[in-house]
Amino acid sequence: MLLELFLLQCRQRPDSLALWEQDRHLTYGKLIRQAHTVAASLQARNIQPGQPVAIHLDRGIDAAIAIFGALLAGACYVPLDLKNPPARLAFIVADAQVGVVLGTAKAPAWLDTDLWLDIDSCPEAIPQPIETSSESLAAILYTSGSTGQPRGVALSHGAIAAFANWASGLVDLSPDDRIASSTPFFFDLSTFDLYGVLGAGASLHFIPSTLTTAPARLSAWLQEQAITGWYTVPLLLAFLAYKGNLAQTPLNNLRFLLFAGEVFPTPALMDLAASLPRTALYNLFGPTETNVCCYWQVQRERLVADQAIPIGLPAAGCELHIEPETSELWVRGPTLANGYWSEGGLRPFQNDQGWYATGDRVSLENGEYRFHGRLGRMLKCSGYRVEPAEIEAAVNALPGVMDCAVVGMDDPTAGQRPALALVFEPEMTIAEIRKVLSKQLPPYMQPSRYLVLDELPRLANGKLDYQRLRTILEG
Amino acid sequence: MKEKLKTFIFSELIYHEDPSSFGDDDDLLEAGLDSMGIMRLIMFAEKEFGVTLPDTEIEPDNVQSLNALERWIKQAA
Repeated sequence: MLLELFLLQCRQRPDSLALWEQDRHLTYGKLIRQAHTVAASLQARNIQPGQPVAIHLDRGIDAAIAIFGALLAGACYVPLDLKNPPARLAFIVADAQVGVVLGTAKAPAWLDTDLWLDIDSCPEAIPQPIETSSESLAAILYTSGSTGQPRGVALSHGAIAAFANWASGLVDLSPDDRIASSTPFFFDLSTFDLYGVLGAGASLHFIPSTLTTAPARLSAWLQEQAITGWYTVPLLLAFLAYKGNLAQTPLNNLRFLLFAGEVFPTPALMDLAASLPRTALYNLFGPTETNVCCYWQVQRERLVADQAIPIGLPAAGCELHIEPETSELWVRGPTLANGYWSEGGLRPFQNDQGWYATGDRVSLENGEYRFHGRLGRMLKCSGYRVEPAEIEAAVNALPGVMDCAVVGMDDPTAGQRPALALVFEPEMTIAEIRKVLSKQLPPYMQPSRYLVLDELPRLANGKLDYQRLRTILEG
Repeated sequence: MKEKLKTFIFSELIYHEDPSSFGDDDDLLEAGLDSMGIMRLIMFAEKEFGVTLPDTEIEPDNVQSLNALERWIKQAA
């Protein structure tokens, strides 16, 4: 179902460019042929419709082949963030109960080799066609969980298609488009690249990873590739505006930029808007559970340096509601995920009327929604969602740790950073804790500040006093 | 200059490494310095040392290690 438009493009334009990466290009015809071999091998391994299959590959052509192969076999894909320490990857593979892990070459040391399938070893074959409905699961995206462990958000074919088709229409994608891609496939942003762009018959150009740390070469690359559009995070665009040599590299072909994942600081957005006067800019908004539920097309004349931009209007057929007492945003509609993936089954997060309570505080002013931060403890660190409870669970499990708490410290460019306050016995050291955490948590979850206390500050009712803790940490 | 850079990097950008055992030629990119970190490092260096670091010189080679950074910034001054 999700692949319908893509499969149509494969039949209509088999010789058109679908995927570009440095030193390797794939047409629609070759892409589908390779995805077929993976799908047939998965079926030969007895993968059942709806069964999770992990993708152990960095973003790029191989990962796209593996994902399309999994979907053609009727499976649902679980993209892994290979920057995670092995212990966390092993947890995700076990928690999702994946039947196969797709990769290239040899299996990583932490994995049971029976689960491994090298996509380059799949013989040419045509898979059995599988019927999928809009309710069938297509992907499980793991994010940080409030229960102390990573948590999978399970997206249906219909939910991803609702977003991808809406976004494709918003920017009017056509086969003439050449779209840049920089988002890892474990972020929901990537669904635009895979299903919106390839569903429209356009070509997807993977940005070489070395360019994201060399902004002037990145803009030169965008120019050379005649890129017409890009959906990415504000940070990369801010870097491009700040040091991308845009005065000498006008990016004439660039029709649109979409961004999401964190708040775009308005002064940086103003620089970008001034450097690219003819490019349409869109702010997309929504937690992974809703993919995108709000959007705002940037109106340049309304940008004011010390005012945050709005998140705008309901997107993709979503209905929005603001809880009067808490100002919490509730969402229901076609882009909503099916639920959390837990112990091999779905745990819905919607109430009886289908509403999902996002935990985001918003307001509605002059017909536009505005974002005012989070209600709960969740942090947003460099675009990643981080639940303090997950860091605390890892720290509490260490010998000699008696008590700990994580709070978010505001940061001008990273959004927030986790800071850790803890109480421990004399035999434990911060150096030791730092060492252990680096093996269990990904870099963006590492505490940026450590504070050792005799006891954590508490309120009269015994609950942690986060406000005082923050004051101590900032001091 | 190198000490100031090191203090900034290990208090603001990279948290999981022990700065006392991190050498001046050790690889910062491998230690986790990413595009966001580089952007903040450049903003810090331009303000702190009063230099303008040219767009086209923001390359992995120039930010790879503390020694490379110092060389690059001194050259731009």
